[in-house]
Amino acid sequence: MSAPAIGRWPGLVGLLAFGGLLELLPRAGLVPAGYLPPSSRIARALADQARRAEFWTALGDTVRTWLTGLAIAVAAGLVCGIVIGSVPALRTATASTVEFLRPIPSVALIPLAVLLYGTGIRATLVLVVYAAFWQVLVQVLHGVGDVDPVARDTALSYRLGRWARVRYLVWPTALPYALTGVRLATSVALVLAVTGELVIGTPGLGREIAVAQGSGAVPAMYALVVVTGLLGVAANLVTRAAERRVLAWHPSVRSEVPA
Amino acid sequence: MRRQLAALVSFSLTLTGAAACGSSGTPSKPSPGQPDKVAGAVIAIVDVAPVYLGKQKGFFSQRNIDLSLSTSQGGAAIVPAVLNGQVQIGFSNVTSLLLAASKGLPVKMVCNGVASTGVPDKDYSGVVVKAGSPVRTAADLAGKTVAVNTLKNIGDTTVRASVRKAGGDPKAVKFVELAFPDMPAALQAGRVDAIWVVEPFLTAAKAGGGRVVAANYVDTAPNLTVATYFTSAQLAKSNPDLVKRFTEAMTESLRYADAHPDEVRQVLGTYTQIAADVAAKLTLPKWPTDINRQSVQTLADLAVGDGLMDRAPDLSALLP
Repeated sequence: MSAPAIGRWPGLVGLLAFGGLLELLPRAGLVPAGYLPPSSRIARALADQARRAEFWTALGDTVRTWLTGLAIAVAAGLVCGIVIGSVPALRTATASTVEFLRPIPSVALIPLAVLLYGTGIRATLVLVVYAAFWQVLVQVLHGVGDVDPVARDTALSYRLGRWARVRYLVWPTALPYALTGVRLATSVALVLAVTGELVIGTPGLGREIAVAQGSGAVPAMYALVVVTGLLGVAANLVTRAAERRVLAWHPSVRSEVPA
Repeated sequence: MRRQLAALVSFSLTLTGAAACGSSGTPSKPSPGQPDKVAGAVIAIVDVAPVYLGKQKGFFSQRNIDLSLSTSQGGAAIVPAVLNGQVQIGFSNVTSLLLAASKGLPVKMVCNGVASTGVPDKDYSGVVVKAGSPVRTAADLAGKTVAVNTLKNIGDTTVRASVRKAGGDPKAVKFVELAFPDMPAALQAGRVDAIWVVEPFLTAAKAGGGRVVAANYVDTAPNLTVATYFTSAQLAKSNPDLVKRFTEAMTESLRYADAHPDEVRQVLGTYTQIAADVAAKLTLPKWPTDINRQSVQTLADLAVGDGLMDRAPDLSALLP
């Protein structure tokens, strides 16, 4: 990270080596090529997918479910986090409930989501929002709790109003935490979007993976898995860049700039 | 996993009984001049090619039906969707529908779905063993482990029927549950002694050196009806005209598909990911226009005999 220009090359080399290994293992007959096709075969299947209209529709569906769920979770997490975190009584009252609900794996709610919303896109959305919400909420709660007591007392003695305290005191303190929460929530939301499509069968890449599997189209299945992986990489790059931009003033980011 | 959740959904539907079905089952009333919207839930397999082909050919729009199709992983997930009115028409194998009906769920078959070819060497379903396996006939499956996609369903009952017919002990066959796509690999690795597969995995298993020892659908009944399209008893009663038009369109689709195998192989590429070279080679099932009622009775008897259900449901209420 401290030297991105150099730091990226070993990563790329590692990726190429991994691709090369995947090419060699099936070709050498160490794994059956029927079940783990060489990477060149997967790349060809990926090119075939790119020519199918259904693929782009599925990609759009996945991205839409993912980003919609993420947006709802982030908005709800920010608001709930700031409100709960700012009122000590609320925080005490909800602490045990949050700690009880948070560890419930979202996938455990699949039967409930299907009962409530059937096999439509909303069922998957429930899973995405549930999983992503806690990531944001917990981070924001920590952030709000981290407000410097001296700064808080100063703000109080200068008689800053409730809104001004949120804007100039709580928000800058909680922002780095919240962005970490958003970054975590982004990848969790993608995982759950694909899981929901795969298991419930809502439209998207996950369902295409299931269809490819059900059609015995092994290279196409791997190609679609690669696409979901690329989505995750893209999401991570975007959130990291956004973090650096939004928190350009913050010591955690400034210290990354080489002296 | 999806099967379990489908089981849970159907269980809760049973609990809520009429209440769950009372609120639903009717498609939105169209405005005058607009076609009736019908949502259908099918499985992305070779069996349902006629409905996609019929939609493409306009057999449904000609009858004022605007058909939208969605795919689910299995018949067990489709039954609840039809009963709670999310979709109006579903596709499911006969045994699943018999089981649903025996639990008191108000399902109603509307027309034939897919049938066995009835030719032992040329059916789209079969029990496959590894090249060097000592199993020569279905009778030799006694004492062996056979993989089926769903336990206590059409797979194990029809494989037992094959074993029984060949003179083996059907009770001695051990069944394990595996997804079709995983079966050829499991057979190669020796994790199971035999697999029951349908196309395109039958072609894949044979290409991997497998040998077909039983045509379980052929052994069960002549021209076995394997799956049908169905709706809820609610909709069948409240909108018989719509169901009648759907049945007519579907019948035309089945007849067309049966007569035009090349177009069937073409349409496979639009809703499955079956590779074109595989689609060109695989054995297609038969799509007769009528349900073989005698074979439905046979499947019901087998399900009772194998302990899948206590007694057969009222077939006259289930059949169209």
